[in-house]
Amino acid sequence: MLPEWMKESDRYVPPKDGGTFAVKTIKTIGDIMSRVKVQRGHEKKHCLPAELKLMILLVLLVLTSVTQNGLVLMGIAAVVLFYLSTWPARDLWGIIKTSLSAMALSFVILLPAMIMNPAGIPNNLVLMTKVFFCVSMVGIFNHTSQWNHVTGALAFFHIPGIFIFTLDMTLKYMVLLGNLIRDLLTSMTLRAVGRHDRKYASVGGVMGVTFIRGTEMNTRMYEAMKCRGFTGDYGKL
Amino acid sequence: MSFIELRDITFRYEGEESPVLSGFSMSAERGSCLIIEGDNGSGKTTLLRILSALSFPEKGSFVFDGCDITEKYMKVNMNSKLFHKRVGYLFQDPDIMLFNARVRDEIAFGPRQMGLGDEEVDKRVRDCMELFDIEKLSDKAPYHLSGGQKKRVAFASVMALNPEVLLLDEPYAGLDRKSREQLTAFLTELKRAGKTLLIASHDSEILSGIYDERLVMM
Repeated sequence: MLPEWMKESDRYVPPKDGGTFAVKTIKTIGDIMSRVKVQRGHEKKHCLPAELKLMILLVLLVLTSVTQNGLVLMGIAAVVLFYLSTWPARDLWGIIKTSLSAMALSFVILLPAMIMNPAGIPNNLVLMTKVFFCVSMVGIFNHTSQWNHVTGALAFFHIPGIFIFTLDMTLKYMVLLGNLIRDLLTSMTLRAVGRHDRKYASVGGVMGVTFIRGTEMNTRMYEAMKCRGFTGDYGKL
Repeated sequence: MSFIELRDITFRYEGEESPVLSGFSMSAERGSCLIIEGDNGSGKTTLLRILSALSFPEKGSFVFDGCDITEKYMKVNMNSKLFHKRVGYLFQDPDIMLFNARVRDEIAFGPRQMGLGDEEVDKRVRDCMELFDIEKLSDKAPYHLSGGQKKRVAFASVMALNPEVLLLDEPYAGLDRKSREQLTAFLTELKRAGKTLLIASHDSEILSGIYDERLVMM
């Protein structure tokens, strides 16, 4: 038997303000998740094998870091900028924004040195330029490579299995738990139809549920691994 | 014009080449019950997400009670709150709907949001717990419950908002026989009370006495 209030429609007028907290948080999580998630569309356009891309990246990073020759640095800069100029504006801005942030951070760190020793400013500027291009190159690699291909490439370079396994699991759980948080906040948004006065309690709830689900998933995966003959030796992976 | 109307909807997930829904249209009258059937991956959940304004189609329009529901419209805080107050959505996975420490807090979340007085909130919580036979779970943590119990708590928390339209994604999944019968009786009463029901389900036989129209998705 339905209660009387359920048989009638509520005359509800929502408040004008408040309630945007969950929406903003969902957007932020969505942005973070899109960086970690598989980027099938973009990778197709940059179809070099991940092993080769990783090798080129490592060589370029070392070269950029150790070079004292301005011409070499300018050559690397020209190649990176030319390549980036072929990208869609949105992706291009994503890489440049991160690189500029890293450059700004290095400027803040180097600022005392530049003030105390003005003669060293040109060297410090070169250092900041190197930071910009190193972060750009890592960004390009990240943007054009699926994470499962990256971990595959690490195996090609004989990185220990335990390291690759841990990295793989970390990435997988970041995606799974990130999706869970996004879904919980989405369902919260659907019921957050007024002013959310206890938002910190709700955030605590979401974080608590995520922690519990993470622990449960971890236990289940370990049990599933044991059922398939895992003896605790990662070396056999 | 119908109460709920989708016209020539095309929807594609980001990064996917083929659309999940292409040139899709449907309508539902106020107080009607529509069953949405289809194989896994046929777009039932996507359709419910569009109807709950969680996803927006790249082509076509969604009209709810004479109002064009677009991304721009839903960005206005008041519009989205009123829409979500009027349209309740029960997810297929109840786990993602439960984030409070106790069952009764979970059910009280919506009514508190509406700014109802303590007495009215308590009444709604009591009534919902009685309806779904979950009074004994009142002080338990939702994440410690069984799948069927979680489903009932999630449904009760949606009903506490007293929505006019209910979007139910596989409401029978994970329920035992007794709970399924109780749910059918409850849905019959909701329809009699004039609620609009859109149910994605593989169990159309159990709903044969309730639905007005059956939509099969390919």
